Amino acid sequence: MPDIEKIKAEAKRLLQEGVVDVVVAFKAGDTPLHPQPAFFRSPEEIDNLVYGSLCQNNLATFLTRMPKQSKLGMVVRGCENRSVNALVVEGQKLRENLYLIGVPCEGIVDWRKIVNQVGEAVLNVREEADLVMVETRQGQATFNKKELLHESCLRCIHPTPISADILIGEALPEGDPNLARTAVEEFESLPREERFAWFQQEAERCIRCYACREACPMCYCEECFVDHTNPRWTESGATPAGMQAWHIVRAFHQAGRCTSCGACERACPMDIKMTYLTEKLNHDIRSKYNFEAGMDAQTQPPFATVTLDDKNRFTV
Amino acid sequence: MSENKPSIALFQCRWCLYAPSDQEWVDHHLPSNIHLTKSPCTGRINPLYLLNAIQGGADGIVISGCLPEQCHFKTGNMAARRQLDEFNDFLDYIGYDRNRVRFVWLDLQDRGIIQKELAAFEEQIVALGPVDDLAVRVKPVAGGANA
Repeated sequence: MPDIEKIKAEAKRLLQEGVVDVVVAFKAGDTPLHPQPAFFRSPEEIDNLVYGSLCQNNLATFLTRMPKQSKLGMVVRGCENRSVNALVVEGQKLRENLYLIGVPCEGIVDWRKIVNQVGEAVLNVREEADLVMVETRQGQATFNKKELLHESCLRCIHPTPISADILIGEALPEGDPNLARTAVEEFESLPREERFAWFQQEAERCIRCYACREACPMCYCEECFVDHTNPRWTESGATPAGMQAWHIVRAFHQAGRCTSCGACERACPMDIKMTYLTEKLNHDIRSKYNFEAGMDAQTQPPFATVTLDDKNRFTV
Repeated sequence: MSENKPSIALFQCRWCLYAPSDQEWVDHHLPSNIHLTKSPCTGRINPLYLLNAIQGGADGIVISGCLPEQCHFKTGNMAARRQLDEFNDFLDYIGYDRNRVRFVWLDLQDRGIIQKELAAFEEQIVALGPVDDLAVRVKPVAGGANA
């Protein structure tokens, strides 16, 4: 766990010295399990800043929602840093207008797992090293943080921010890339009917709230393909065909751009699994083009460039 | 699938059929179960078009374009190959049979290939049987809510 006081001191310094106009970080939310994203514009407000493993959102989402010329400070974890890089590659922000306070991340705790296990309203949550202490009306419960982590955090490869301006805390060891690969390969080895049944079952629960789109830093189109009705790019009604089209195309638009942060899945109110789609695309992009989104702020994603070795890449 | 013939969507790059007789055949003498969509280049074929064709009731999809380095727009076909190939892989991953999509990359010297490829593909689709996975979109009813 990085020292919260150091994060606060750095954020305060940025605002006092006028390095940035606003610092994007988390503050305590309405309920103990949900710290919420906050925008700190003056050094006095910084006292409200919190950081913990219950911070669910990917803060890079707000990078494209602030004025393009504004100077932005941001508390970033490994995945958020990669999202920021991917957005810089796509020309959404100049890197010199950003100041990244990097925090090595030990994984995000899935609040649903806590709620499922305690089974009632949570009054207070405390974190100590590897433990999460939850206080309810019935008493206290202690969990091991490793058991509560979100699936995409269990598969995380780069937990440490790779290009932050300042890193607070010790860099963490790299994760195992095989974990992401085996998850995809396991699903691929199922028979076709089972794979489709799984996809259908996940897609049909969708209520079309578009929380996954809003939570995703890479979904920044002014007008999304499902909102555009004339011409209608694809089936977009609340029908089985519309649900399936949304899930396929939302994931496919992330091909070569997704940084596997899992914010889409955490945002879903229906608990629909969707990282299995983007993981497949990430896996393909890694194996075919040796590219990982957000690892630097210059390389264009594979679908934005072509090279002549493509001649030998496809046999059909 | 209709009673006897599968419905096939053909996406054709307008430059890929160099022989006038081939282009004429595609433009005017296509069998009625093959639905032609001409595009300026394969690079213009958005993966969404494939999905729309599938959800509109197509049993199979053929995409015909030029070989690398023969593109009228220099690199359009290369960009298309990257995207469409990955889209086909992705559809296969979620359970749509990859054999229902065929890519036909044509050389400038090729003559009469497109007819052979379409015939072979039709046989392949007949063997696979009617499509049973991705949901078909609701057809608008005249005067109804979706019209």
